[in-house]
Amino acid sequence: MPDVLEKLRRLRQDAGVAAPARATARAPAVDEPARDAFAPPKPRPEVPEHIRRLLGIRAKATAPRPVAAPRVQATDRHVPGEEIAPGLHYTEEHVPWHDTPPVLDAAFAKLGPIQRERLLHFDTETTGLAGGTGTRAFMIGAADWRDGGLRLRQLTITTMAAEAGMLRTFAGWLPPGTALVSYNGKCYDAPLLNTRYRLARQPSPLTGLLHLDLLHPARRRWKGRWENCRLGTLERRVLDIVREDDLPGSEAPRAWLDYLRGGSARDLRRVAEHNAQDLRSLAGLCLHLASLEP
Amino acid sequence: MLPATQIAPHRHATGLLPVPEKTSRALTDRLGRKYADRITGCIHIPGREGSYAPFPDDLPAALAAALQARGITRLYSHQAQAWAATQRGENTVVVTPTASGKTLCYTLPVVAAAMQKKAKALYLFPTKALAQDQVAELLELNAAGNLGVRANTFDGDTPGDARQAIRLHGDIVVSNPDMLHQGILPHHTKWAQFFENLQYVVIDEIHTYRGVFGSHLANVLRRLKRVCAFYGANPQFILCSATIGNPKEHAEAVIEAPVTAITQSGAPTGDKSVLLWNPPVVNPDLGLRASARSQSNRIARLAIKAGLKTLVFAQSRTMVEVLTKYLKDVFDHDPRKPARIRAYRGGYLPTERRAAERDMRAGRIDGIVSTSALELGVDIGSLDVVVLNGYPGSIAGTWQRLGRAGRRQQPSLGVLVASSDPLDQYLVRHPEFFEGAPPEHARLHADQPLILLDHIRCAAFELPFLRGETFGPVDATPYLELLAETDVLHYEGERWEWIADSYPANAVGLRSVADGNFVVVDRSEGKQVIIAEVDYSAAALTLYEGAIHMVQSVPYQVEKLDWDGRKAFVTRTHVDYYTDAIDYTRLKVLERFDGAIAGQGSTHHGEVHVVRRVSGYKKIRYYTHENIGYGPVTLPDQELHTTAVWWQLPSAVLDVAFPSRQDALDGFLGAAYALHIVASVSVMAEARDLQKAVGSGDGAWFASSDGRGRGQLRGGDGKPMDPAAPEQFIPTVYLYDAYPGGIGLSEPLYLRRADLLQRARDLLQACDCPAGCPACVGPVLASDEKSTHPPKHLAARVLSLLEGTGSGSLMGSDAHA
Repeated sequence: MPDVLEKLRRLRQDAGVAAPARATARAPAVDEPARDAFAPPKPRPEVPEHIRRLLGIRAKATAPRPVAAPRVQATDRHVPGEEIAPGLHYTEEHVPWHDTPPVLDAAFAKLGPIQRERLLHFDTETTGLAGGTGTRAFMIGAADWRDGGLRLRQLTITTMAAEAGMLRTFAGWLPPGTALVSYNGKCYDAPLLNTRYRLARQPSPLTGLLHLDLLHPARRRWKGRWENCRLGTLERRVLDIVREDDLPGSEAPRAWLDYLRGGSARDLRRVAEHNAQDLRSLAGLCLHLASLEP
Repeated sequence: MLPATQIAPHRHATGLLPVPEKTSRALTDRLGRKYADRITGCIHIPGREGSYAPFPDDLPAALAAALQARGITRLYSHQAQAWAATQRGENTVVVTPTASGKTLCYTLPVVAAAMQKKAKALYLFPTKALAQDQVAELLELNAAGNLGVRANTFDGDTPGDARQAIRLHGDIVVSNPDMLHQGILPHHTKWAQFFENLQYVVIDEIHTYRGVFGSHLANVLRRLKRVCAFYGANPQFILCSATIGNPKEHAEAVIEAPVTAITQSGAPTGDKSVLLWNPPVVNPDLGLRASARSQSNRIARLAIKAGLKTLVFAQSRTMVEVLTKYLKDVFDHDPRKPARIRAYRGGYLPTERRAAERDMRAGRIDGIVSTSALELGVDIGSLDVVVLNGYPGSIAGTWQRLGRAGRRQQPSLGVLVASSDPLDQYLVRHPEFFEGAPPEHARLHADQPLILLDHIRCAAFELPFLRGETFGPVDATPYLELLAETDVLHYEGERWEWIADSYPANAVGLRSVADGNFVVVDRSEGKQVIIAEVDYSAAALTLYEGAIHMVQSVPYQVEKLDWDGRKAFVTRTHVDYYTDAIDYTRLKVLERFDGAIAGQGSTHHGEVHVVRRVSGYKKIRYYTHENIGYGPVTLPDQELHTTAVWWQLPSAVLDVAFPSRQDALDGFLGAAYALHIVASVSVMAEARDLQKAVGSGDGAWFASSDGRGRGQLRGGDGKPMDPAAPEQFIPTVYLYDAYPGGIGLSEPLYLRRADLLQRARDLLQACDCPAGCPACVGPVLASDEKSTHPPKHLAARVLSLLEGTGSGSLMGSDAHA
């Protein structure tokens, strides 16, 4: 348990600095009267001094304070788009795209024909890959076929509190009959968003929608042909797309956390660009798969 | 599938059936006649008529019908009480002996609620085996009444494709605390429907949740309640425990809410006899007694020959295998016949354990040899005779094991065979101590700061903390601030939000055992078959190269141990010996956090390094038990960095106060024993979480008790040495946290150092023994009871020198000693 050892190391340093003046005066926790009535659980006023020392917590100044206060405020704090609610940024972009068929043959995903306008491609950027209730999406990108091209919309939050608004807005983009398109979204993005909706006490708009996860058809078709079946590989091999100055997806959590803590917005903008490219590739790949001979 | 009569003891509960001839009474009488000199005490516990109650009026008719189909026509009184208490909405703990029908106490309310209200229930068992037993039983009841209740286990073995169905549709989910902690709570959103309808949480075997494990469980339950509150649920708890000294208090400590205790069993019992058995003296000059093993073997043999179903409890896995071999040599020498003797212990593959349990329930096995693995409620049917090869170490544990004997109203026999261990010898010399001793208290310390920090971290991952939110009764704020300092949490808008990319539950083990089981791979004749698993803590003692590793008493020799890969490669062998590891513990001070004068010596609090080393092994021949050789072992030391409190006295003081260094050493060992007792009580620790040691302040030597109340000095290499040999002689008593990084016990002990010395001295003074006993300074030899410097007086002198109450004369004892 290196974690604990680290704390103990700190404790040793602390022991020399801050002598526990109150430690002897204050009885240790074990001497406190037993919890007799369970009724209203009385919050303990504070952690006993010796325990604070063990944990390496310095003497408490005042009541709760934001500890992760901005370290050094960066000058470049520009997050693109319109702030449609506090901390919730919205961008929209139109990508002209010609010769798209009005109806896609989804036989590659073992489905029938689907009207082009029903498709909604989506991709999230998240705070990590650990899974469970502790991982959240800080950016949701969606792309659909509108007005002779691809409409790209992105939602980015710059505060925790903006998450509920982001989820509500995204839900509004998913009318009944929407067919979701994603890359590994069935296993990753959709369960993660379902968890976030549940935690925000909002009904999940994803439930019951048709979902084309292109990972599986792509694997069926190209497995073993190229080094792997990641979206980045397929867009290069199949769609001849080469990215420049792309921020790797694995850097996204750090980019967002840096901004959250007052850092530069530069990498956060690169995450948005990465996400937008993922959506364009997703749409292209979907068209490509639909156009191939079965 | 079993015939209903075997599962429903109620059928014969009235005792109207003729008692079969093969009862343990005849054996008890025979042993008493033949071995009167070996039986130092005999405790008779008269049988008791059952106390019954009709099915409650509010029990659903379909459930009553299902019970009747299973041969149950009425309830025991405690089952009816449990029903009433749960229907009043009270948290309930049921504390009754093994095989008294505890299961129905929670099955009835849970199944009734599932049938009537679609209510869900979560069962927690300490082991997967118990969980599987439970589901099998529920399924049988369900089938008997066509109740439509779905019960499933949910643990590490549950296949991925079954999990989703269990989360959505399971009425009763049977799991374990580890799975709740790592697999369920961090994914609670997937369990939303389950938590929204969760009415009952059932926790069986709560006496096993003591100390570190218990402290972890209490915090996991704080997290469970927090998650339930998010879904608007406030489940009721039904708990079960074996007999402990403080069931209600312990249950309330586990769930942090008031609990109704039901402690009077209504199940009928037969007469029970318990014999305390001291092996005969074989060498009067040296005071040597025959081994406990030889006696247990003999008693078990007699019992099995008399047609009695017999269970032998041994203290170690090796001893299980040795005793199994001896019994198999007698009863299973014909390989064409099905085996009558079986071993049961941790480390066997689950399938093998299940097979053993099935055979035992079906009565196909006549003799079982087991470790404490069978102490818990694994269903193996009932037995006539239980033999304990050595004292299990606690009164509560002894009665739990003895409780395995007793079928319906037939008489049963328990025999406690004393080993040469001093505590064993004390017990058989003082049967009244055993008879009168109340069972131990189970304790836990849910607010242990490091455990608390771990679980607040896990809880913050599950749901954000709001400003001022408490975790159990604890103000979480300082812990949250600490987590924010390390960038795990982010404080915004009065909420502490999880932002790290990690899954904290995976880094927190509830049982504080180090990582990774070892697998034992049989490579005989080019095979590659896994034949056993050994947990990390036991690996160094049983899987060193050269060790004879036995599985169902078939010997395998360890040829190669891959420590990092957690694998031991063995081949089948036919040697006539088994092996026994030689190990010792050494302790070294790394850092002093604080120090003070203590009488004529000093006391400190700080960080220590504890090393446990296996230095070699002995080869011991079967039956003769002669030592036929040694082998070296080179294994990594088992290391532990932890915190400790210690006391020491300088040589000059000791030279004046004690006739010899040996006497001073004995005094320190006795003082350590007494301090350990009062310290464990003082900080409410499990004795195993707080350890004691005596060694040199500079780590040059350490001392261990020779088992007769006298100390043995050993150098850094583990070799015995003369107390006069070391240049520096600064004996030191250490009390240390047996938990990596410490579990916060030693600092409170340091702060209460004066009080501890006082209490230790009070303990010695109040103890009636003349020279020392397991209740004060540890067991002593009978010859020491007349010594001029008995260990008790030496210990008292050490304590008083540390208290500064004079030159060491206290209790007026030296005057008339």
